[in-house]
Amino acid sequence: MDYDTYAPLASWFEATWLGGQMREQFWMFPMMETIHFIGITFLFGSLLVIDMRVIGFGRFINMNAAMKYIPVAIIAFCVNLLTGLAFLCADPFRYFPNIAFQWKMGLIVIAGINALWFWFGEHKELCQLADGEDAPFRAKVIAALSLAIWIGVIIFGRMIPYVEY
Amino acid sequence: MGFLVWLEEGALGIFIRESLWGYPIVLSSHAVGMAIVMGVVIALNLRVLGYAKDISILAFDKLFLIGWIGFIINLISGLILFCNTPTTYFFQGSFILKIASIVLGGILMKVVMNSVRGDTSEGLTKLASFACIACWFGAMITGRLMAYL
Repeated sequence: MDYDTYAPLASWFEATWLGGQMREQFWMFPMMETIHFIGITFLFGSLLVIDMRVIGFGRFINMNAAMKYIPVAIIAFCVNLLTGLAFLCADPFRYFPNIAFQWKMGLIVIAGINALWFWFGEHKELCQLADGEDAPFRAKVIAALSLAIWIGVIIFGRMIPYVEY
Repeated sequence: MGFLVWLEEGALGIFIRESLWGYPIVLSSHAVGMAIVMGVVIALNLRVLGYAKDISILAFDKLFLIGWIGFIINLISGLILFCNTPTTYFFQGSFILKIASIVLGGILMKVVMNSVRGDTSEGLTKLASFACIACWFGAMITGRLMAYL
């Protein structure tokens, strides 16, 4: 990304109170990282329950009850959005031009679109499934995509420190 | 100590320290494995603690298998990462605590599953479940601290 494009936005993030705290308190960064990691386990664990049910691997899980993990996933996502923002504010000039960060953000947007497709396109029909009943193929594709995209998000996130030059 | 030095100077140690992409790739696998193991552990314990009660806990068995896959990914990637500097890690307090938390967390997971299948009182089962989550959180916290201490 071109420096002049992101510089104004990056300066704004850098000047925030949160950014200052992240740089000044030595324990803030590791604490936020740990919360970010705990957040991803709640998010990914919830997705495993829902998506594995839809894919058919855990098809004796009650579909309606599995959907109760959706709020867990959403809360975990919000926790990670906030802790992620904290990292960004700490050092925006490091993150904006980082190729792994850009891919990670791109994948999260795609995961969001995929989730909306799941909610508006499949959710109602899936809730009617009996225990052990196979989900429609479309829904299985969405579920498999969801897991694959989030694995990609985790990998690109972990790569961020290693693709700097 | 001799073994640790041998490990550090061996092929795996050299690979993980010197190859350009070796370390980030193995570390990323470790993060993916972590999300799988801890994801299953947390989803399952949430259910044991009373969330989403309509799911039969026994229906989670298949998910448990996926948790094991994640565990194996992390055992292998963890051993490779350990070869980076075994002579340091082995004596690092946060590393020792991390391994202890994982062992205890694993045993507690087994205790929770046995309680669910047997006729242990609900209170005791939930207590074990709570302790299990605490151990796995502990493993994550100490694991992250390894990079700082």
